[in-house]
Amino acid sequence: MKERGSFFVVPGIVWVLLFTIFPLVYSFRVSLSRVAYGRITGFAGLANYARMFQDYRFWGVLGFTLIFVIFSVAITVSLGLLLALVFNRKMRGLRFFRALMTTPLFTAPVALGYLGVMMFYEENGPINILLQTLGFSKVPWLSDIFWARTAVIMVDVWQWTPFAFIILLAGLQSLPDEVYEAAVLDTSSGWDIFRYITFPMISPVLGTVIMLRLVDAFKVFDIPFALTNGGPGTATRTLTFYVYTQGLRNFDLGYASAMAYFLMFMSLAVGIFFFRRYRSLYE
Amino acid sequence: MKKKKKLGIVDVLVWIVIVITFIWVVTPFYWAVITSFKKPIDVFRLSVVPWLQFKPTLDNWYMEFTQRGPEIMKGITNSIVISVSAALLAIALGSLAGYGLARFRFRKWKNQDMALWFLSQRFLPPAATVIPFFLIIKSLGLLDTRLALVLVNTTFTMPFAVLIMRDMFKELPVELEEAALVDGCSRWTAFLRVALPLAAPALVSTAIICFAFTWNEFLFALVLTYRQAIPMTIVIAGTEHTQGVQFWYVSTRLLLAILPPAILALMVQKYIVRGLTMGAVKG
Repeated sequence: MKERGSFFVVPGIVWVLLFTIFPLVYSFRVSLSRVAYGRITGFAGLANYARMFQDYRFWGVLGFTLIFVIFSVAITVSLGLLLALVFNRKMRGLRFFRALMTTPLFTAPVALGYLGVMMFYEENGPINILLQTLGFSKVPWLSDIFWARTAVIMVDVWQWTPFAFIILLAGLQSLPDEVYEAAVLDTSSGWDIFRYITFPMISPVLGTVIMLRLVDAFKVFDIPFALTNGGPGTATRTLTFYVYTQGLRNFDLGYASAMAYFLMFMSLAVGIFFFRRYRSLYE
Repeated sequence: MKKKKKLGIVDVLVWIVIVITFIWVVTPFYWAVITSFKKPIDVFRLSVVPWLQFKPTLDNWYMEFTQRGPEIMKGITNSIVISVSAALLAIALGSLAGYGLARFRFRKWKNQDMALWFLSQRFLPPAATVIPFFLIIKSLGLLDTRLALVLVNTTFTMPFAVLIMRDMFKELPVELEEAALVDGCSRWTAFLRVALPLAAPALVSTAIICFAFTWNEFLFALVLTYRQAIPMTIVIAGTEHTQGVQFWYVSTRLLLAILPPAILALMVQKYIVRGLTMGAVKG
């Protein structure tokens, strides 16, 4: 078409420029500065970045963030795939079930965190009572490092397993039936059908799900904030959480901006790595 | 030849999975609901069935809307105003840009590159922009205003709207708009009068998804508001600190924060897979 369409796209592009790129440039400048009481007082070079590598808290926070990302993504995606395979059949009520499964995705994560406080409550919370009825001992969910981390991951798994499930189910249901019929005629076993037919065909969707889950998991903040407030100690602080406390509670803005940049590059690296393989899906 | 249908082991397993998943998804919500109808004395007992195991009471809900009414109403009003404005802005910008990308071919800056520009927002961790945003909003004197949160959330949700609307417009037949153009309509009228009404269902769903994401947003609300403009996510975060383990209060507020987006999300099932993957997977 000959007309000019820039009129349509310019507002959106300018908006992104104004509200994302400009703040990012600004924050890069802050990350290279010495900041005191919220004001830039001088040039610091890469000192803020160097400081990260000497800060034991930063390493601890990075460690938990990675633990969280690995476990949360692995569990949500494998559970989601399992459920999607189970439900990939013609059955009544599937639409209702799928709709029900979307509700966790649209529940505010911060609300889920507080709901988790109720569920995981140590003295007579429902989960501990259930465990005791089953003959286990009480679990110190929110006061023990290991269990607090487990609880944070569990809440995240609860919220995001449906995400993997719904998308993978959509992917499975878009596969053509003919291939399966041919495979059944060849009397392949169920496992063979999955391994040589379903899995290769679903892998672009699976890759996309893993990519989106990874990117989201790196951002996690609301759930640990609400559920454990980063504790016990700093055991469940994530990178975003640390950026928040350093930057906006302690007003150590330069250092926090440097860490934010580090987080962004990690997240972008993951995004680019996967995106190069699955780009065609977006076009 | 059709196989005779029998209730095999597989079907039984599927039903077991259905029941477990159902309980897994519903329990936390159910727990919040019954807790909100419990007297304090019943909260820390494993009582699940109302009337049989505990006597339900409306006291908590009554208190919520009378004594603590103004605070809650402020939170809900703010959440509604912010989410509706951000969703409207996002779909306005989003349908414009989406239409531009779907109907024009740009040379200088290719369509794919622009789509990528919007998509890249999905990979940006909020922590990366929270500090510069705070500084900019502060210097503009917009701290603790709804406007600040509207701007932020429009920025986060608009890329969704752009990419989903682009797909939707691509799927509409071009002929209708071409006919309108031949009849002497301007491009703008063809967009407003022909394309937009045809895309209305998708537009509404996109708006609902944007509304839900804005409603659930927490980090920026925490940083940018403190008294007048606080949305529901911040109201519930405040409750926990002041009310400790008074779960009977906490649960009423949690439900008020959780329900609006969760119920709305039930209405957008058709577009949910696209929405969650930004159009990569069609469901």
